[in-house]
Amino acid sequence: MEGTLKKGRIIGLLLLLLLAFLLDISIGSIKIPLGEVFRILFSFHSENSTWQFIVEKIRFPKACTAVLAGFGLSVGGLQMQTLFRNPLADPAVLGVTSGANLGVASIMLAGGGSASLYAIKELGFSGSWLITCAACAGAGGVMLLVLALSSRLNSNVMMLIIGIMIGSITLSVISIWQYLSDPDLVKEYLLWNFGSLGGVTGSQLVILSLVVAAGLIIAFLSSKKLDALLLGENYARSMGLTPKKARIIIICSTSLLAGGITAFCGPIGFVGIAVPHITRSLFNTSSHRILIPACCLVGSVLMLLCDTAAQLPGFQTVLPINIITALIGAPLVIWIILHKNNLRNFG
Amino acid sequence: MIKISRNLFFLVLSVFVLLGAFSCGRGAPKKEAAAAGEAGDAFSSEKAVIRHAHGFTIDYYDHYKLVRILDHDGTKTDTLKYLLVQEGTATPSGYPGAQVITIPVKSLVVMSSMHVALADFAGVADRIRGLGNFAYLSSTVVRNNVKAGKVTQIGLDGNINNELVISMHPGILMSMANPDVGFAKFKTMMDAGVPVMPNSEWLETTPLGRAEWVKLMAALVNKEDFVNKKFDSVEKAYDTLAQLGSRAATHPRVIIGMPFKGSWYMPAGESYMAKFLRDAGAGYKWADTKGIGSVALDFEAVAPEALTADYWLNVGQVDSKKEIAGKDPRYASFKPFKTGALYNNTKQTNDIGANDYWESGAVNPQVVLADIIHILHPELLPNHQLVYYKQLQ
Repeated sequence: MEGTLKKGRIIGLLLLLLLAFLLDISIGSIKIPLGEVFRILFSFHSENSTWQFIVEKIRFPKACTAVLAGFGLSVGGLQMQTLFRNPLADPAVLGVTSGANLGVASIMLAGGGSASLYAIKELGFSGSWLITCAACAGAGGVMLLVLALSSRLNSNVMMLIIGIMIGSITLSVISIWQYLSDPDLVKEYLLWNFGSLGGVTGSQLVILSLVVAAGLIIAFLSSKKLDALLLGENYARSMGLTPKKARIIIICSTSLLAGGITAFCGPIGFVGIAVPHITRSLFNTSSHRILIPACCLVGSVLMLLCDTAAQLPGFQTVLPINIITALIGAPLVIWIILHKNNLRNFG
Repeated sequence: MIKISRNLFFLVLSVFVLLGAFSCGRGAPKKEAAAAGEAGDAFSSEKAVIRHAHGFTIDYYDHYKLVRILDHDGTKTDTLKYLLVQEGTATPSGYPGAQVITIPVKSLVVMSSMHVALADFAGVADRIRGLGNFAYLSSTVVRNNVKAGKVTQIGLDGNINNELVISMHPGILMSMANPDVGFAKFKTMMDAGVPVMPNSEWLETTPLGRAEWVKLMAALVNKEDFVNKKFDSVEKAYDTLAQLGSRAATHPRVIIGMPFKGSWYMPAGESYMAKFLRDAGAGYKWADTKGIGSVALDFEAVAPEALTADYWLNVGQVDSKKEIAGKDPRYASFKPFKTGALYNNTKQTNDIGANDYWESGAVNPQVVLADIIHILHPELLPNHQLVYYKQLQ
């Protein structure tokens, strides 16, 4: 009975995802008739080449990025909440996203001197790839540091504290750079910090999908470990699980997801915290075999809706995605806490 | 002995200045006064008349000038007052809250390329003793002084080294700050006796209005005579070109700038850039938008225009078509990219990466306008050689 209910909800969410995807693609600052949007989507052709460009090259990649970000951030958040048994954990607690931030800041601010930028350009990187690679390098660096530390620690709580401290250190380094940099560069960095789904196209989208897919596969394969961890490290140990090994695998997965998405889209907050709570209250389960795919669906629907809301139909301006996710995500979490006492899983 | 002769000198000077101002008030030009103006120290005989700029006013009195820096914010206008008092004369009373600047100012601390350009235009670039950041410097005079160790880097608006500036005892510090927002941070400096003047030329809505801030610099160094003449010729050249451009038969459609992460900032309709485009006879889709800064647009909102535009100007921090496509492969679909009608205002970028467009270009709007007209309507100015702009390959 309960199984069919869950199946029904999953199917419902799938339909919702499809609808949200189409909604996101059909709404924008340029008015394109719905029929034309569908024609472009399914036949890749339109009489109006401008509309075709907008749907094919702007809206479609953006919606795909929203889906990927929704997948990755919510599963990353779920894993962290389970690993640390803390309802406030999100993919950023590991410091990986601040690491990505640091990488970007090192290019935009510290590298601000045109001389060093020139030198990097000579290496063959240029444009958006430069920022993305820097973010990946930053996220990867912090991830290695976290992994090295985690193999020496026995407790996940200590890991949590260390993650937050690493985040603080990287953010203060960035603050120093910001303080010392030219206002123009700081502005560009701030813009990056607002997060954006619109900058990922072509080959970048392919790479982002591969990274997210890798992170998700690892997460799905470790769902049993996550179930066990939820009951406490001692219990997990009694089930024959090595908490340290499990922790390393989970950190790898979350780092890939959070680091990859931050590298391509900039920081996107709140989805990672909010979606696991929403999903748990929807499905009333603690089994990660269900929670992980369900989180993917809820996360991507939420991201698509946020992206649609950010476009403010009729306006020529788009609001930064990072603002919208918090604006929508925070009230949702409050509502859930008030209506469903669903934090019990974190005893 | 020295003190007496100095006092005597100032007494003679002020009598002379008074006479000069008096005769000037009657409208009779005096040769002596003009000669003194060229010497550059005496109180100016000629007044600066502001015709384009909205951000400041200058009122002339016998031995002092009253400068008001205005901040138009909706219906209310905020004012900062400055008394420019001729060296050796008494500070007039009755101006509470006004900062006092002794003129002619002999040493300047400036923040932006624009300030350097103002000083250069007035012929007093060698009086710059402090500069916010050396990285954005084009003026050869100032660069030589930097090499000779005569100019100190003092940090940008947010984090100026107060102690360093105060110990330099500059005659004035020009800041980029908005007249009301964030001006409080200069309190230490003003308490220590360094007058701080915000230079909000970037709030002007026309290129000539921006350039006219040279007259404020002129008032500070008693060079109204020299600067007025120079500005008049800039104005005349600009107006002639603007007539030529705005009467052009065609209006090629133009897009400006480069999107970043899906947001595209276009100059707003009341910005000086939009005015340049209007005067150059360009078709600019956002010419009727409100605001003097820029409009934040969605990439999608600009795409229809970008796909079919005739020209793409001020492309940003890129130097070739390859780099533009590297930023985002979608940009290669824009018509100006395909036809090669891509022009960037970076021709005068020097070996340290500073772009003179932001410096001398700001006080030579007639040259910038000529460049844009030549790009959009080559038939109107066939012999013009691009100065600040270059075509990207």
